[in-house]
Amino acid sequence: MENNQPLWLTFIVAFILMNVLLVGMAYMTWFERKVIAAFQDRLGPTRTGPHGLLQPLADGIKLLGKEDLIPGAADKRVFYFAPLIVFVTAIVGVAVIPFGGVIHLFGQDINLFVTDVNVGALFILAFSSIGVYGIILGAYASANRYSLLGGLRSAAQVVSYEIILGLSLVGIFILSGSLSLRDILARQQDTLSIGGFEISNWYILSQPLAFIIFLIAAVAETNRAPFDLPEAETELVSGFHTEYSAFRFSFYFLGEYISMIVVSLFASTLFLGGTGGPGSGEYWGLGILYLLLKTVLFLFFYVWLRATLPRFRYDQLMGIAWKVLLPLALLNIVITAFIRLYANDQIPSSWWRTIVAILAVVLLAMVYQAYAAGRAERRTAAG
Amino acid sequence: MNEIGSEHFLFLSAALFIIGMMGVLVRRNVLIIFMCVELMVTAANISLVAFGWELDSLSGQSFAIFTIAVAAAEAAVGLAIVVALSRRVKGAVDIDEARSLRD
Amino acid sequence: MPWDLIIFYMVATICVLCAVGVVASNNPVHAAIFLVLSFFNVAAIFVMLGAEFLAVVQVIVYTGAILVLMLFVLMLVDPDDLPEFHAARPVQRYVGVLLGAILLLEVGVAIIDRTVTGIPGTASREAVDVVGGNTQALGRTLYTEYLLPFEIVSLVLTVGVIGAIVLAMPERLGERIANRRGTISLGHPRGTDFALPVGPLEESPIPGSARDEAVMAGPQEFGRELVMVRDAEEQPVVDLRR
Repeated sequence: MENNQPLWLTFIVAFILMNVLLVGMAYMTWFERKVIAAFQDRLGPTRTGPHGLLQPLADGIKLLGKEDLIPGAADKRVFYFAPLIVFVTAIVGVAVIPFGGVIHLFGQDINLFVTDVNVGALFILAFSSIGVYGIILGAYASANRYSLLGGLRSAAQVVSYEIILGLSLVGIFILSGSLSLRDILARQQDTLSIGGFEISNWYILSQPLAFIIFLIAAVAETNRAPFDLPEAETELVSGFHTEYSAFRFSFYFLGEYISMIVVSLFASTLFLGGTGGPGSGEYWGLGILYLLLKTVLFLFFYVWLRATLPRFRYDQLMGIAWKVLLPLALLNIVITAFIRLYANDQIPSSWWRTIVAILAVVLLAMVYQAYAAGRAERRTAAG
Repeated sequence: MNEIGSEHFLFLSAALFIIGMMGVLVRRNVLIIFMCVELMVTAANISLVAFGWELDSLSGQSFAIFTIAVAAAEAAVGLAIVVALSRRVKGAVDIDEARSLRD
Repeated sequence: MPWDLIIFYMVATICVLCAVGVVASNNPVHAAIFLVLSFFNVAAIFVMLGAEFLAVVQVIVYTGAILVLMLFVLMLVDPDDLPEFHAARPVQRYVGVLLGAILLLEVGVAIIDRTVTGIPGTASREAVDVVGGNTQALGRTLYTEYLLPFEIVSLVLTVGVIGAIVLAMPERLGERIANRRGTISLGHPRGTDFALPVGPLEESPIPGSARDEAVMAGPQEFGRELVMVRDAEEQPVVDLRR
């Protein structure tokens, strides 16, 4: 599958990918400002360079030049490296995303990806789990009671939605039989013939519920609107990055954008077939272009949500995670497993009665729970 | 010792276990004691997986997964007890006297 | 160049140093950070041992969830309220280190002079690669050979979750005033409920506010009787005219 290329070649590919990601992150800020401006019927940055394209550069210079304040009571070493955790763990995620197969260039066989770990999908989840520490430690190191609370709330939100993110992907793992992103990509290149049409086996078609859950969880996981209450408190009272100024703050801020980009790449690879598209088999450049287009589609979706929706209150946000999305994700897993067994004719006939009985019980339980929740809501609203 | 063998991993596991044990015996802060217990559990995990690697068996990894799951449940319940104890009684509780969460 | 030996020594050294940092830190948050670093290196060790799935499970579950839970408890609980163990005399520290070193030497000798080995299993590298990788092979083992322990462990986890929720749940609202020390519960059932004349029944984060005095004075200051129940089902109707 992959060739065993010399280590320096992997380093070069990784270096190029990292730089592309960093430039992409910088221009993501420009993209967001322009798109939100378009939604709000104004122009966005126009004066710095043509169409405001040098705006990220200007922002960077400004942020570098600002005074770097550290609260007196802050824990200095933790204060220094907490933002870095968020930044670095976000970038590392791009190492497992396949940008193509093996190509032959300059006389060498080059892999268009940094590595293909057996557990690629979980690798990205693992690093976003570590990113939570950046939030908690940054909140702690600020020596500010409100930052601490804001940070802990934000961390609780991220951890809850991370579970949902993982669970929504289990359906895909059942269907593809592998956790490796290259394998998942390869399985999506299979063509299905439905009716008279030949379409690629993109998992958005076979896992629509998982896709929706994944999207919501991804938006909440990266602390983006409409789930950004802990962060938006920066505007109101506090947030975990209140005490951070200048370049340190930019690490948090840009780390969030990088994780947005990595999650969009991840979603494109898992659900939309990644580098697949007409003609991508022959020309690897087309494959990369398709992947970038799909990623930009997801990023546009992120910005669209931010421009349009009001934010959720914190308890609504957590309620959605645990009471709505978690049961739906579990339901998706059960349905996917069931359909897979059925498609492989592996369900013994004696099971049907048991399955119907279990489904009836589950359905009754869900109906009762909804009814009881409705009654509780009416009581708390009245009492 | 020019090739890596399971002795290296077992020695690491022993070192981590002993360091964790020292922590449990010497420290006073209950949360740090918790962390040292987790360190000991992890050391046992390394030893399980090392033996599984040496003997070409997946039992080591399976039991390590069970260990991690049980350690998670234990940490959750233990921390809940700490929170409950700290909430009900104002001031520090002497852990050897605290027999029931009722008082 | 035995690369794996070099990498092992690097990873193992950092692991042990961080473990010593856990035990020796004064600040519990620093201890937690050292533990995170140590576990991350343990995940690297698992990768070296060919257990990639276990490595990511270690990172996601252990560092990403259990230690986050510990950090939460660390930061939300007033350190004076924590249960305390009997103090250790300072000399115990040095004796402890000495005994630990001796124990380590003994175990080291036992490891090197090992004569008993186990029965080899069937999951060699080639057999694992045939099945499709470490995750697939582990999945097969877990669901065939170790199915019963797997299900029992899931039961243990469920019981653990329920136990943790029950133990850490706040008690009846009326009892809280006496025990409040200013800790703030993220799990407060109503969030910040300003419907009550005095918000949540603890100190407000803003010092010196009128709310603080009202809380500290107790509920008898109000013109009507406040009936506080945790479950509205017990007293669906509150007669406020009394």
